[in-house]
Amino acid sequence: MSVAGRRVAVVGMGGAFPTCAGLEEFDKKLFTGQSLIREWPKALQYPKQIRSTVAGYITEPEMNLEAIHPVPETEWPETYVDHLGRIPDLNLATADLGCVWAMIGALESIEMAGWTKEETESEQTGVVVASGGGGNVVSRHAWHAFYELGKKTRMAGSHTVDRAMSYREAANVSCLIRNKGVCESIISACATGLGNIGYAYRLIKFGLQDRAICGGVEGTALETFIGFDAMQVLSKGFAPEQSSRPFDVKRNGFVCSFGAGIVALEEYEMAKARGANILGVIDGYFNNSDGDGNMFYPSYDGQRRLWKGLMADAEIKPEVVKVHGTATPVGDILELISVVDTLGEDGYHVAAPKAQFGHMLGAAGSVEFIATLLMLKNQKVLPCINSDELNTEPENFQKKDGWQGSDKPAAAYRHLISQEIVEKEINQIVCLNYGFGGTNSAMAVSRDDR
Amino acid sequence: MANERQEILEGLLEVLRTVRTIDPAKLEGVTEETDFLTDMDTPSTELINIAAKVEQKFDIEFEDEDIDRMGSKVKDVIDLIIMVMERSANK
Repeated sequence: MSVAGRRVAVVGMGGAFPTCAGLEEFDKKLFTGQSLIREWPKALQYPKQIRSTVAGYITEPEMNLEAIHPVPETEWPETYVDHLGRIPDLNLATADLGCVWAMIGALESIEMAGWTKEETESEQTGVVVASGGGGNVVSRHAWHAFYELGKKTRMAGSHTVDRAMSYREAANVSCLIRNKGVCESIISACATGLGNIGYAYRLIKFGLQDRAICGGVEGTALETFIGFDAMQVLSKGFAPEQSSRPFDVKRNGFVCSFGAGIVALEEYEMAKARGANILGVIDGYFNNSDGDGNMFYPSYDGQRRLWKGLMADAEIKPEVVKVHGTATPVGDILELISVVDTLGEDGYHVAAPKAQFGHMLGAAGSVEFIATLLMLKNQKVLPCINSDELNTEPENFQKKDGWQGSDKPAAAYRHLISQEIVEKEINQIVCLNYGFGGTNSAMAVSRDDR
Repeated sequence: MANERQEILEGLLEVLRTVRTIDPAKLEGVTEETDFLTDMDTPSTELINIAAKVEQKFDIEFEDEDIDRMGSKVKDVIDLIIMVMERSANK
């Protein structure tokens, strides 16, 4: 359990962000209210088979990477070339696209943290990174060559396992940075990004590690997109930059996005002692399950218990609540009500950064955590773009017998959800993310000079 | 015969140049006696990838046993390619 007096600081961050050359551009685009969503040429190649065609995708050239395709040419990326020379070829050989982003994010985080080689390679440094999906791009080729083409297993190459296994991101990051502590993945669907940071936070808080590289990744993959498109849960019918619209009455699904968010955590006193720039201090982390047997439907009761758990061990009085807010019909308002019923109807703002960059699945929680750290740095609340009109009528679930929460419609909370950037004093932000299977996660993070 | 072996060696080098985990500098002056593991520092996991690429390049298919028996020198791979080419020609 937690060791008294031990706190956890965030000292570095990095990753991969749609339409952005790096963290700096991500910061600039977010805080000028821009959308990172585009029409996806890859989805447009299959007009008769795909329903939604917008995404927050990242191509290889946008990350200064090049996919090497075998001859005869197929879509299968045999390996990648890093034109900026950040990642050695030997490490690229064992990586799928998401792993490459995770490694880049890890190097950026370590550089920002200012860890020495000895600190990075220490037994006290852990790696906790994962993605929500499998290594679908690599697996597709392997299965196609074997089942459809009747080829020997070796035609899929000798890296099908390391490039597609569930904890490939952690394994690749660890082999690159050569840490000697923990190397694991926490996988919990769309709560993965925050879940890995939460687990790494506990490793440090519980005294098991002093430092950790952690976060979530979702490599660009049409294979991943197809699964959600099939469920008909993706946004459709809007211009790309207007497609992700949390809380808006016309919302009809989320925008599938890809990216990577990696952060460096360090025991607070150690970070302070070496004069590190503290990006934030984690006040607490809590996660739980709905326990209602429903794979998909969000749970008001589960979310209220999530808040109760978060508040049990930490002083929670946030100026901003960074919600999961995917822009699916039920989830947004149910989440809003659970926040309002916990914190009251005033005194904070709700930020739903998916409005700007969509739903990054396994990377959502960690990229949104980075967006949260940027809100702390900039002392600005991100705008909930596209929340043009809030429902003036209660949702159907609010009219059901046995509903325990507020029965006010979303429009009653317009003052919490700003379409413009709000400048104000921000000391603490609570981050919320949920995933299929009824898993819920919450983390509170404060600025150091609070 | 020597000419054939030289042509295969050149084809093999073309394959090896696409294997990014092999340092291109190590491909200078490769002879039949060059060892993939000790001279070229090829990661052992890449040998199977090289075999698969060779199959595509020379339009042949090795038996699993062929690969199990394959040595780690360049001449072992050339011997194997010739043997498999002859075997398929005789079928």
